[in-house]
Amino acid sequence: MRGVRSTLVWLAAIVAASALAFWLGGYATDVYRKMLIWVALALSYNFLFGIVGQVAFSHFAFAGVGAYGVVILAHKLGMPFGAALVLALALCALLAFIVALPSTRLEGFYLALATLAFSQLVIVVISEGGDLTGGTGGIANYRLPSVFGYAIRGPWYTVLLVLLVAFTLWTLRRLDYSAFGRACRAIRDNAVAAAAMGVDVRRVKVQAFTLTSTLAGLAGIAYAYIDNVINPPVFGLENIFLLLFMVIVGGSGSHVGAIVGAVFLYLAPFVLEPIVGHGFLLVFGVLVVLTILFRPSGLAGLLNRRTARGTT
Amino acid sequence: MEDLLELVVSATASGCIYALVALAYLLILRPTSVINFAVGEWAATGAFIGVAILTPLIWPRLEGPYWLALLAVPAILGVLGWLVEALTVRPLIRRGASVTSSILALLGVLIIFREGLTLLFGADPLPSPPPLGFKRVAFGPFAGGSQQFLIIGVTFVLFAGAWLFFERTIWGRAFEAVALNRRAAALMGINLRLVTTLAFVSGGMVAGLAGLLMSPLTSAHYMMGLPIAIQGFTALVIGGVGRVEGALLGGLVLAFVEQFGARYLPIPSGLTLGFPFVLLILFLFLRPSGLISPREAR
Repeated sequence: MRGVRSTLVWLAAIVAASALAFWLGGYATDVYRKMLIWVALALSYNFLFGIVGQVAFSHFAFAGVGAYGVVILAHKLGMPFGAALVLALALCALLAFIVALPSTRLEGFYLALATLAFSQLVIVVISEGGDLTGGTGGIANYRLPSVFGYAIRGPWYTVLLVLLVAFTLWTLRRLDYSAFGRACRAIRDNAVAAAAMGVDVRRVKVQAFTLTSTLAGLAGIAYAYIDNVINPPVFGLENIFLLLFMVIVGGSGSHVGAIVGAVFLYLAPFVLEPIVGHGFLLVFGVLVVLTILFRPSGLAGLLNRRTARGTT
Repeated sequence: MEDLLELVVSATASGCIYALVALAYLLILRPTSVINFAVGEWAATGAFIGVAILTPLIWPRLEGPYWLALLAVPAILGVLGWLVEALTVRPLIRRGASVTSSILALLGVLIIFREGLTLLFGADPLPSPPPLGFKRVAFGPFAGGSQQFLIIGVTFVLFAGAWLFFERTIWGRAFEAVALNRRAAALMGINLRLVTTLAFVSGGMVAGLAGLLMSPLTSAHYMMGLPIAIQGFTALVIGGVGRVEGALLGGLVLAFVEQFGARYLPIPSGLTLGFPFVLLILFLFLRPSGLISPREAR
């Protein structure tokens, strides 16, 4: 009975989020689509940061690898789109695995520094890639090809993004409620105790890092066809700070928190900018500090008192 | 040859700036285990305060003397460091939150400082006048801008001071003791709270001076903080997080690799921007203790 009900809830949410796509105008559609990308990225980042407790700064770099990978393979090298998609994802997974192997050995915040260096290197490489990556100007003038004669355009592309978010959330929830998810939370709370209970800490960390980074790559691929433009700054450090802030303010470790945090911080500038101009980032900084100081469970903790007690 | 010697001077000066930022990290990291990324923004703040004092930016027709900037920057940054510690790190330590919480809160502080600077001083770079003018100076075969020699001189004085502090004073010993074992140090009667506060105050002062010193070469710009924060940290990892000498050595190594690599290696100049990151990755993975190993407990 519960299974049926939760399936219905999922369907209703997907239909509602998709229906919105047919009702929104041009500018609002653009805002809505990018918000969905942020939500997808925040969900996977939250798994790595909030549930496994690993602070990594490479999430956007992997989104960049996915986006650049698919565009270069499909549009510069002329591969069939399906093959380009699979190959770009495989590249993300492989690269994430290679980065994770040595990085997850690093203690505490040193993982953040190694991944920060990696993501800056990715930016340097794509900025200097010449014709292949379009240098600092990026790549433009390509569009999503039709697959089996179907061209996904207009609101249907937004529906695809809704499905991407749903798929990300579904995958991460499944993992969270499995033995793997419990191992992840055990590592976050006390890695030594987790190891003593028989959790292979390194292995779980590498798996979680590879999986969440590949999901970031998938979101990056979806992003590449929103404006049909990609350029280096999008995948740089500025956005990873914002993503981290979204997860912290939303409530790290909570899927609902990641969604709420992403929606809240993504939409806040539209309200704040007319009032305080560019100062909205200052407001975000204050918000993050206040959240860490006074409400570590974030907005999700405000919404649900029970989760507030569950995660500290 | 002249070209080479000039490059040596320029690399040494840049290395000294990295070393000062690395020292600011180290002063905070050693006793508290907190990596404070906001030191880059503190350096930027120092640069902007310097410009505000030295040029008629805030008070028209009033150009303050350099000694005033040299005193005011560390004083103001010391107070700001104390405020940051008192408002963010101290409550978190008191609550027993993890070190990561403090580090993440300081990332919020980083954004607050950077956006605060943008609101106060605008987004355009502000040139900062070099105190000794634009003339070239030569010491034997070594020639360079006067500011470069000023940077080198001040840095060596500051490092000598820091070295004496850690090696010769009781307070330096207390810092070291807290770094080696917080709990044991507290049991020995060392005031942990005071050491933490002093760590942030001194870190702020050193970072501010680094920003003031570098500003004539780079101008004061609101985006200057993050790159210098990354370079300073890379310098610290190269040299080793345990010792004052490590910060200086790491800064010099990083700057020499950057500048000599950019000049003599046959690769596109854009790719040389990646050098610090390659060095950071190599050292984190292959030699996490850095070039100079930390002293063992005695």
